[in-house]
Amino acid sequence: MSEKAGGPTGLAFERFRVKDREEWLMRLGRPHAPAILFIPPLFEEMNRTRALIVAVMNRLARRGHCCWLPDLSGTGESERDLGDVTWRDWRHDVTFAAAHITEQSKYPLVASLRSGALVDDEAKARGWWRFAPQDGSSVARDMARSGLAGGVAWAGYAPSDDLKAALVAAKPAAVKRLRTVRLSTDPGEADAKIEGPALWRRSEPGNSAELADALAADLQRWSGECVGF
Amino acid sequence: MAAAPNDSLKVEATLRAVLADVLGLEPSRVAQFREDSPLFGALPEFDSMAVAGLLTELEERLGILIEDHEVDADMMETFGALLTFARNKALT
Repeated sequence: MSEKAGGPTGLAFERFRVKDREEWLMRLGRPHAPAILFIPPLFEEMNRTRALIVAVMNRLARRGHCCWLPDLSGTGESERDLGDVTWRDWRHDVTFAAAHITEQSKYPLVASLRSGALVDDEAKARGWWRFAPQDGSSVARDMARSGLAGGVAWAGYAPSDDLKAALVAAKPAAVKRLRTVRLSTDPGEADAKIEGPALWRRSEPGNSAELADALAADLQRWSGECVGF
Repeated sequence: MAAAPNDSLKVEATLRAVLADVLGLEPSRVAQFREDSPLFGALPEFDSMAVAGLLTELEERLGILIEDHEVDADMMETFGALLTFARNKALT
Protein backbone atom coordinates (compact mmCIF):
# COMPACT_ATOMS: atom_id res chain seq x y z
CA MET A 1 0.00 0.00 0.00
CA SER A 2 1.70 3.12 -1.19
CA GLU A 3 -1.12 5.49 -0.29
CA LYS A 4 -2.00 6.71 3.16
CA ALA A 5 -4.77 4.80 4.89
CA GLY A 6 -7.96 6.81 4.60
CA GLY A 7 -6.40 9.12 2.01
CA PRO A 8 -7.39 9.58 -1.59
CA THR A 9 -7.37 6.36 -3.55
CA GLY A 10 -6.99 7.49 -7.14
CA LEU A 11 -10.48 8.62 -8.12
CA ALA A 12 -10.86 9.04 -11.88
CA PHE A 13 -13.57 9.03 -14.53
CA GLU A 14 -12.91 7.46 -17.91
CA ARG A 15 -14.91 7.14 -21.11
CA PHE A 16 -15.12 3.68 -22.62
CA ARG A 17 -16.28 2.74 -26.10
CA VAL A 18 -19.29 0.47 -26.62
CA LYS A 19 -19.54 -0.16 -30.38
CA ASP A 20 -20.61 3.23 -31.83
CA ARG A 21 -21.15 5.07 -28.52
CA GLU A 22 -19.31 5.93 -25.32
CA GLU A 23 -20.24 5.54 -21.66
CA TRP A 24 -18.56 6.40 -18.35
CA LEU A 25 -16.54 4.33 -15.90
CA MET A 26 -15.61 5.52 -12.41
CA ARG A 27 -12.27 4.25 -11.13
CA LEU A 28 -11.04 4.03 -7.55
CA GLY A 29 -7.49 2.78 -7.07
CA ARG A 30 -4.26 2.72 -9.00
CA PRO A 31 -4.71 1.71 -12.68
CA HIS A 32 -2.41 -1.31 -12.77
CA ALA A 33 -3.57 -2.92 -9.52
CA PRO A 34 -5.67 -6.11 -9.76
CA ALA A 35 -8.96 -4.98 -11.26
CA ILE A 36 -12.51 -5.51 -10.02
CA LEU A 37 -15.43 -4.41 -12.20
CA PHE A 38 -18.57 -3.69 -10.14
CA ILE A 39 -21.96 -4.12 -11.79
CA PRO A 40 -24.71 -2.32 -9.86
CA PRO A 41 -28.31 -3.50 -9.47
CA LEU A 42 -30.72 -2.29 -12.14
CA PHE A 43 -33.37 0.43 -11.74
CA GLU A 44 -34.30 1.71 -8.28
CA GLU A 45 -31.93 -0.55 -6.35
CA MET A 46 -29.02 1.05 -8.21
CA ASN A 47 -29.62 4.31 -6.33
CA ARG A 48 -30.18 2.58 -3.03
CA THR A 49 -26.88 0.68 -3.17
CA ARG A 50 -24.64 3.40 -4.66
CA ALA A 51 -23.22 4.44 -1.28
CA LEU A 52 -22.62 0.81 -0.31
CA ILE A 53 -20.84 0.02 -3.58
CA VAL A 54 -18.57 3.06 -3.26
CA ALA A 55 -17.81 2.10 0.37
CA VAL A 56 -16.76 -1.40 -0.76
CA MET A 57 -14.72 0.03 -3.65
CA ASN A 58 -12.93 2.41 -1.27
CA ARG A 59 -11.99 -0.38 1.10
CA LEU A 60 -10.62 -2.54 -1.72
CA ALA A 61 -8.78 0.37 -3.36
CA ARG A 62 -6.96 0.98 -0.07
CA ARG A 63 -5.99 -2.69 -0.01
CA GLY A 64 -4.33 -2.55 -3.41
CA HIS A 65 -7.16 -3.17 -5.88
CA CYS A 66 -8.34 -1.04 -8.77
CA CYS A 67 -12.14 -0.84 -8.63
CA TRP A 68 -14.32 0.21 -11.56
CA LEU A 69 -18.02 1.10 -11.74
CA PRO A 70 -19.79 1.79 -15.06
CA ASP A 71 -22.79 4.03 -15.64
CA LEU A 72 -24.99 1.66 -17.63
CA SER A 73 -26.67 3.17 -20.72
CA GLY A 74 -29.49 5.51 -19.76
CA THR A 75 -28.34 5.78 -16.12
CA GLY A 76 -26.01 8.10 -14.23
CA GLU A 77 -23.94 10.28 -16.55
CA SER A 78 -24.95 8.37 -19.68
CA GLU A 79 -26.22 10.70 -22.40
CA ARG A 80 -28.88 8.27 -23.60
CA ASP A 81 -32.55 8.11 -22.60
CA LEU A 82 -33.50 4.99 -20.70
CA GLY A 83 -36.45 4.60 -23.07
CA ASP A 84 -34.06 3.99 -25.99
CA VAL A 85 -31.93 1.43 -24.17
CA THR A 86 -32.24 -2.29 -24.99
CA TRP A 87 -31.28 -5.28 -22.87
CA ARG A 88 -28.44 -6.02 -25.27
CA ASP A 89 -27.10 -2.49 -24.70
CA TRP A 90 -26.71 -3.18 -20.98
CA ARG A 91 -25.05 -6.52 -21.63
CA HIS A 92 -22.69 -4.82 -24.13
CA ASP A 93 -21.90 -2.08 -21.59
CA VAL A 94 -20.58 -4.71 -19.17
CA THR A 95 -18.66 -6.63 -21.83
CA PHE A 96 -17.00 -3.52 -23.25
CA ALA A 97 -16.25 -2.06 -19.83
CA ALA A 98 -14.39 -5.29 -19.01
CA ALA A 99 -12.50 -5.05 -22.32
CA HIS A 100 -11.55 -1.40 -21.58
CA ILE A 101 -10.08 -2.47 -18.24
CA THR A 102 -8.26 -5.44 -19.77
CA GLU A 103 -6.51 -3.10 -22.25
CA GLN A 104 -4.95 -1.28 -19.27
CA SER A 105 -4.09 -4.24 -17.04
CA LYS A 106 -5.44 -7.78 -16.98
CA TYR A 107 -8.85 -9.45 -16.96
CA PRO A 108 -11.00 -8.00 -14.15
CA LEU A 109 -12.94 -9.90 -11.54
CA VAL A 110 -16.63 -9.10 -12.08
CA ALA A 111 -18.51 -8.24 -8.87
CA SER A 112 -22.26 -7.98 -9.41
CA LEU A 113 -24.87 -6.86 -6.93
CA ARG A 114 -28.46 -8.09 -7.08
CA SER A 115 -29.87 -7.79 -10.63
CA GLY A 116 -26.46 -6.70 -11.96
CA ALA A 117 -25.84 -10.46 -12.13
CA LEU A 118 -28.35 -10.67 -15.00
CA VAL A 119 -26.06 -8.81 -17.43
CA ASP A 120 -22.56 -9.87 -16.27
CA ASP A 121 -21.91 -13.24 -17.95
CA GLU A 122 -20.61 -12.26 -21.40
CA ALA A 123 -17.68 -10.23 -20.08
CA LYS A 124 -14.20 -11.74 -20.35
CA ALA A 125 -13.20 -11.99 -16.69
CA ARG A 126 -10.88 -13.87 -14.33
CA GLY A 127 -13.83 -14.77 -12.13
CA TRP A 128 -17.25 -13.72 -10.91
CA TRP A 129 -18.63 -12.75 -7.51
CA ARG A 130 -22.35 -12.16 -7.02
CA PHE A 131 -24.07 -10.63 -4.01
CA ALA A 132 -27.74 -11.55 -3.46
CA PRO A 133 -28.43 -12.26 -7.17
CA GLN A 134 -32.07 -12.48 -8.22
CA ASP A 135 -34.21 -13.38 -11.25
CA GLY A 136 -35.37 -10.61 -13.56
CA SER A 137 -39.00 -11.58 -12.97
CA SER A 138 -38.58 -10.63 -9.31
CA VAL A 139 -37.22 -7.19 -10.28
CA ALA A 140 -40.08 -6.64 -12.73
CA ARG A 141 -42.69 -7.68 -10.14
CA ASP A 142 -41.15 -5.33 -7.60
CA MET A 143 -41.17 -2.39 -10.03
CA ALA A 144 -44.73 -3.03 -11.23
CA ARG A 145 -45.90 -3.35 -7.62
CA SER A 146 -44.70 0.12 -6.73
CA GLY A 147 -47.97 1.21 -8.39
CA LEU A 148 -50.16 -0.92 -6.13
CA ALA A 149 -50.30 1.32 -3.08
CA GLY A 150 -50.99 4.63 -4.76
CA GLY A 151 -47.55 5.11 -6.29
CA VAL A 152 -46.43 5.17 -9.92
CA ALA A 153 -45.81 1.82 -11.63
CA TRP A 154 -42.11 1.20 -12.32
CA ALA A 155 -41.44 3.96 -9.80
CA GLY A 156 -41.48 6.50 -12.62
CA TYR A 157 -38.91 4.70 -14.80
CA ALA A 158 -39.89 4.36 -18.45
CA PRO A 159 -37.95 1.41 -19.89
CA SER A 160 -38.61 0.21 -23.44
CA ASP A 161 -40.84 -2.82 -24.03
CA ASP A 162 -37.72 -4.69 -25.19
CA LEU A 163 -35.98 -3.99 -21.90
CA LYS A 164 -38.99 -5.03 -19.82
CA ALA A 165 -39.59 -8.25 -21.75
CA ALA A 166 -35.93 -9.29 -21.58
CA LEU A 167 -35.78 -8.43 -17.88
CA VAL A 168 -38.76 -10.65 -17.07
CA ALA A 169 -37.10 -13.61 -18.83
CA ALA A 170 -33.59 -13.04 -17.44
CA LYS A 171 -31.92 -15.29 -14.89
CA PRO A 172 -28.31 -15.18 -13.64
CA ALA A 173 -26.35 -17.29 -16.15
CA ALA A 174 -23.85 -20.00 -15.22
CA VAL A 175 -20.23 -18.79 -15.30
CA LYS A 176 -16.86 -20.30 -14.37
CA ARG A 177 -15.15 -19.47 -11.04
CA LEU A 178 -18.28 -18.06 -9.45
CA ARG A 179 -18.74 -17.25 -5.75
CA THR A 180 -22.22 -16.32 -4.55
CA VAL A 181 -22.76 -14.43 -1.28
CA ARG A 182 -26.09 -13.68 0.39
CA LEU A 183 -27.37 -12.12 3.59
CA SER A 184 -27.99 -14.50 6.48
CA THR A 185 -31.70 -13.60 6.28
CA ASP A 186 -31.89 -14.79 2.66
CA PRO A 187 -32.92 -18.48 2.33
CA GLY A 188 -31.38 -18.78 -1.18
CA GLU A 189 -28.35 -20.94 -1.98
CA ALA A 190 -24.94 -19.34 -1.50
CA ASP A 191 -21.24 -20.10 -0.95
CA ALA A 192 -21.28 -17.78 2.07
CA LYS A 193 -23.85 -15.95 4.18
CA ILE A 194 -23.03 -12.66 5.88
CA GLU A 195 -24.74 -10.41 8.41
CA GLY A 196 -26.08 -7.01 7.43
CA PRO A 197 -29.13 -5.02 6.39
CA ALA A 198 -30.89 -5.42 3.02
CA LEU A 199 -30.07 -1.82 2.03
CA TRP A 200 -31.61 -2.24 -1.43
CA ARG A 201 -35.04 -2.50 0.22
CA ARG A 202 -34.84 0.83 1.99
CA SER A 203 -36.96 3.67 0.66
CA GLU A 204 -34.18 6.04 1.72
CA PRO A 205 -30.70 5.20 0.39
CA GLY A 206 -28.53 4.13 3.31
CA ASN A 207 -25.16 2.64 4.08
CA SER A 208 -23.70 0.12 6.52
CA ALA A 209 -20.04 0.04 7.49
CA GLU A 210 -20.56 -3.47 8.87
CA LEU A 211 -21.90 -4.76 5.56
CA ALA A 212 -19.27 -2.91 3.49
CA ASP A 213 -16.51 -4.41 5.68
CA ALA A 214 -17.89 -7.93 5.29
CA LEU A 215 -18.36 -7.64 1.52
CA ALA A 216 -14.92 -6.11 0.95
CA ALA A 217 -13.24 -8.85 3.01
CA ASP A 218 -15.04 -11.63 1.15
CA LEU A 219 -14.35 -10.03 -2.23
CA GLN A 220 -10.67 -9.54 -1.42
CA ARG A 221 -10.27 -13.24 -0.55
CA TRP A 222 -12.09 -14.34 -3.69
CA SER A 223 -10.10 -11.92 -5.86
CA GLY A 224 -6.94 -13.50 -4.45
CA GLU A 225 -8.16 -16.95 -5.47
CA CYS A 226 -8.93 -15.76 -9.00
CA VAL A 227 -5.46 -14.35 -9.69
CA GLY A 228 -3.77 -15.86 -12.72
CA PHE A 229 -6.88 -16.68 -14.76
CA MET B 1 -37.46 -22.74 -1.09
CA ALA B 2 -35.09 -23.95 1.63
CA ALA B 3 -35.74 -23.43 5.33
CA ALA B 4 -39.30 -22.12 5.06
CA PRO B 5 -40.36 -20.92 8.52
CA ASN B 6 -42.98 -23.36 9.73
CA ASP B 7 -44.45 -21.91 12.86
CA SER B 8 -46.23 -18.82 14.02
CA LEU B 9 -43.37 -17.30 15.99
CA LYS B 10 -40.94 -17.68 13.13
CA VAL B 11 -43.33 -15.90 10.78
CA GLU B 12 -43.67 -13.07 13.30
CA ALA B 13 -39.90 -12.76 13.71
CA THR B 14 -39.46 -12.75 9.93
CA LEU B 15 -42.12 -10.06 9.52
CA ARG B 16 -40.46 -7.85 12.14
CA ALA B 17 -37.05 -8.31 10.49
CA VAL B 18 -38.47 -7.45 7.05
CA LEU B 19 -40.18 -4.32 8.40
CA ALA B 20 -36.91 -3.18 9.99
CA ASP B 21 -34.99 -3.83 6.75
CA VAL B 22 -37.52 -2.30 4.37
CA LEU B 23 -38.48 0.76 6.43
CA GLY B 24 -34.99 1.33 7.83
CA LEU B 25 -36.31 1.29 11.41
CA GLU B 26 -34.34 0.28 14.50
CA PRO B 27 -35.11 -3.38 15.34
CA SER B 28 -35.76 -2.27 18.95
CA ARG B 29 -38.57 -0.02 17.69
CA VAL B 30 -40.06 -2.73 15.49
CA ALA B 31 -39.92 -5.14 18.46
CA GLN B 32 -42.39 -2.87 20.26
CA PHE B 33 -45.05 -3.11 17.50
CA ARG B 34 -48.25 -4.65 18.88
CA GLU B 35 -51.25 -6.11 17.04
CA ASP B 36 -52.96 -2.71 16.88
CA SER B 37 -49.87 -0.66 15.96
CA PRO B 38 -50.77 1.31 12.80
CA LEU B 39 -48.45 0.82 9.79
CA PHE B 40 -49.53 1.91 6.31
CA GLY B 41 -50.56 5.54 6.40
CA ALA B 42 -49.00 6.01 9.85
CA LEU B 43 -45.29 5.59 9.10
CA PRO B 44 -43.67 8.12 6.74
CA GLU B 45 -41.14 5.48 5.68
CA PHE B 46 -43.95 3.21 4.43
CA ASP B 47 -44.32 4.60 0.88
CA SER B 48 -45.39 2.81 -2.28
CA MET B 49 -41.89 1.53 -3.11
CA ALA B 50 -41.64 0.25 0.46
CA VAL B 51 -44.89 -1.67 -0.05
CA ALA B 52 -43.39 -3.31 -3.13
CA GLY B 53 -40.20 -4.14 -1.23
CA LEU B 54 -42.11 -5.49 1.74
CA LEU B 55 -44.16 -7.87 -0.39
CA THR B 56 -41.20 -9.12 -2.42
CA GLU B 57 -39.02 -9.58 0.66
CA LEU B 58 -41.80 -11.49 2.49
CA GLU B 59 -42.17 -13.73 -0.57
CA GLU B 60 -38.46 -14.49 -0.61
CA ARG B 61 -38.01 -15.09 3.11
CA LEU B 62 -41.26 -17.01 3.72
CA GLY B 63 -41.25 -18.92 0.43
CA ILE B 64 -44.73 -17.67 -0.49
CA LEU B 65 -46.33 -16.01 -3.52
CA ILE B 66 -48.52 -12.93 -3.05
CA GLU B 67 -50.99 -12.05 -5.83
CA ASP B 68 -51.61 -8.40 -6.59
CA HIS B 69 -55.36 -8.73 -5.89
CA GLU B 70 -54.58 -9.83 -2.33
CA VAL B 71 -52.87 -6.53 -1.63
CA ASP B 72 -54.87 -3.62 -0.23
CA ALA B 73 -54.56 -0.94 2.43
CA ASP B 74 -56.49 -3.04 4.99
CA MET B 75 -53.96 -5.88 5.13
CA MET B 76 -51.19 -3.37 5.85
CA GLU B 77 -53.18 -1.09 8.15
CA THR B 78 -51.87 -2.56 11.41
CA PHE B 79 -49.07 -4.88 12.44
CA GLY B 80 -51.71 -7.43 13.48
CA ALA B 81 -53.44 -7.37 10.08
CA LEU B 82 -50.14 -7.86 8.26
CA LEU B 83 -49.12 -10.65 10.63
CA THR B 84 -52.43 -12.45 10.10
CA PHE B 85 -51.96 -12.17 6.33
CA ALA B 86 -48.39 -13.49 6.51
CA ARG B 87 -49.38 -16.39 8.79
CA ASN B 88 -52.27 -17.40 6.55
CA LYS B 89 -49.94 -17.41 3.56
CA ALA B 90 -47.01 -19.19 5.16
CA LEU B 91 -48.74 -21.69 7.41
CA THR B 92 -51.79 -22.87 5.51
